[in-house]
This record gives sequence, C-alpha cells and structure tokens, in this order.
Amino acid sequence: MNTAEFLLMVVKWWGAIGALVALVFLTVGMDRIDEDADGAYVFRPLLIPGILLIWPLVLWRWYCLAFETDHWAHRYKPRRHNHRIFAYVMPIAIVLVIAAGLSVRQQWPAHIAPEQLSAPEASQ
Amino acid sequence: MSRKDEPFFVGYLPLPAGLKGFTLFISLAVFVLFFGAGLLIGATQDAPEDTGFRFDFGRQTVTGVVELTPYPILRVTEGNDRIAPGKTMMLTAAGKSGVDMRAMGLEGQLAQISGIVLERGTIDMMQLRGGRNGISPVEGNAPAMEIEPLGRWKLAGEICDGKCLYGAMRPGRGLAHKACANLCITGDVPPVFVSTQPVEGQEFMLITGPEATRMPQEAYDFVGQFVTLEGDIERRGDLLVLQIDPATIALVDE
Repeated sequence: MNTAEFLLMVVKWWGAIGALVALVFLTVGMDRIDEDADGAYVFRPLLIPGILLIWPLVLWRWYCLAFETDHWAHRYKPRRHNHRIFAYVMPIAIVLVIAAGLSVRQQWPAHIAPEQLSAPEASQ
Repeated sequence: MSRKDEPFFVGYLPLPAGLKGFTLFISLAVFVLFFGAGLLIGATQDAPEDTGFRFDFGRQTVTGVVELTPYPILRVTEGNDRIAPGKTMMLTAAGKSGVDMRAMGLEGQLAQISGIVLERGTIDMMQLRGGRNGISPVEGNAPAMEIEPLGRWKLAGEICDGKCLYGAMRPGRGLAHKACANLCITGDVPPVFVSTQPVEGQEFMLITGPEATRMPQEAYDFVGQFVTLEGDIERRGDLLVLQIDPATIALVDE
C-alpha cells in the first residue's frame, strides 16, 4: 500500500464511521440532548455532511451533554476570548501559506532536452 | 452616541438606517474581492487549446486489438471517420477509475470499444461506457501488432494521470493537482509522462514500470512535480510507452 492508497483508505474509513455516527445521532441521540429538536426532522439530513467531517467532536459533545459534564456557559467562553487573536492570525497565516507555497513552486524545466542514452539494439 | 443608540443588526428585523451604507460597502467590497480573485486565479491557469472531452463528436465506437502494457490500450484496426486505423487509444472509465478489470481477459484479442473521446493535440484517450457496452470481445483473429523499441532515454517533465493531461481538465499545479493525480492513478487511470520537449514527435507517453509492470510505488511520491528520469521507450502505433526506472527519478533542481 502506497501513501496515496493509505490516505484514501483513511478518508474512506473516516467517512464510513462518520456515516454511522450521523445515522445514530440523528435518529436517536439528538432527541436526547436537544429538546428543541424533538419532532423536527427536515433539517437533520442537512447535518450529515458536517457530521461526516467532525464526527469525533460530535461524539464528544454528545457525551458531554448526555452526561451533563459541562456547563452551557463554558461552551462559549474560550472561543469568545480568542476571537480577536484568530481574527488577526488567520488572514495573516493564509497569506503567508500561499506566499510560501508560491515561492517554493518549481519552474517548468523547458531547457532540459530529451537525451537518448542508448540505441534500441543496445537496450534490448 | 451612547452604546444604547448604536444601530444593531438583527437578522430577522429590518436593517437599521445607520448600517445601510456600511452593509452596502461591505457587500460590494466582498463581491469585487472574490470576483477579482476568481479572475486572477483563472487567468494564471494553463489553458491548452483544442483539448477536452469531445462530446461534440458524439459517442465513438471502434474495433481493435487490446494490449495490456499493463495499462490497457487499444490498437485500432477498424476505425471510423473520426478515429483512423493505426491509432492507439488509451482507455479509461468515468470519474477517477480505469478499465483494467474489464480489459483483463482481452489481451491480444479483438475488441470493440465505445465511449467519449478525450483529446489533446494528436493524442487520444477514450472514456468507455459502463460494463460490456464500453468494451466487449469481437469474433475474429487479431492481427499481430508491431512494437518498436526506441532505446533508453533521459527525460525531464512531469508524471501525471492520463485523464488530466489528455484534456479532461486544465492541467493544474501544486499540492491539490498532485493529490488529484494520485487519486486518479490509484484508481487505475493510466499514468502519463509529459516531456519538456518532444521525443520522436510526442510530448506525452504512457508510463509503466520496468519490465511492463505497473507504475512503481516510488514514482507516486513524484507525481505532479517536475522531475528527471530514465527509462526505455517503445512505440505502439502512435503512442509512446515509457518504462521508467524508479531509481533514476529525481526532482529538477530549482
């Protein structure tokens, strides 16, 4: 298995587990942790793509809410505190990453001509 | 103005008068920014002429001899008004998948293929229809096909998937292009090498490993990057096949 095949396999398994989490969470779990979702079904398929991507976070939040291990107000505090930092860091980082990527980009080696190393008879 | 009097936007209420100018400015700025970025990015991409899926040709059906290099190709023996006998077609399926499994039992036999042509310049590939509608055996004796060895060469260029370079896309650059090409090759789309300058009149050639094996594992790490490499080249019809020597692959120095 090469690197590309390994990465593809990881993505497939990640998506498959995410699909399983989405199925169970949207049919069983959501009703138990969010009373506002009780009886509301049309919006649930819209959540599937997101759950496929961040299913570990969904499982963790599901656990926290089901077992009441967090306080609702604490959920928002850290992110609000860091909003300003991220607001400056993210656009700067994006520009830096793009600039770094472009600066190390290879140039098409048009000057290198094909070179015959041996004639057909010699190579057979 | 006290904070109490500051206009405050609430999505389900009418826009406060004090925010209309600001909202209009931001909306226009975002539109101009993304429109400009789209134009800029599009203008920097390669756009080879006369390439792509030839849906305007309609579905093409030809007959020929299947060869497994091991990637399947068809040496056309009975063409049509678009595809002449003597042409060599590389074969692929829809999406990022090849036709290896379907062609496996047909090596050296006559077969009929049907699908949509992709072309770039003088090179062609056919994206086959599904199942036996795309490729099926034909009664008759397959003529012997000539394979002309062209010796060992040192080349510079890029390893890519055939579909991208045969016109299914604008050939890309960078990591996303590399990942896309690796997915195609992993899915059995035939890999190709695009040379900086023509070899025996051809800039594109089908890649195999040494001794007609599949593209070696080592080569995957160099896909989508500009490299030099050595390998034996042979001509099958109007298609060149490059048997790369993985030990000789090296990134082109900056």
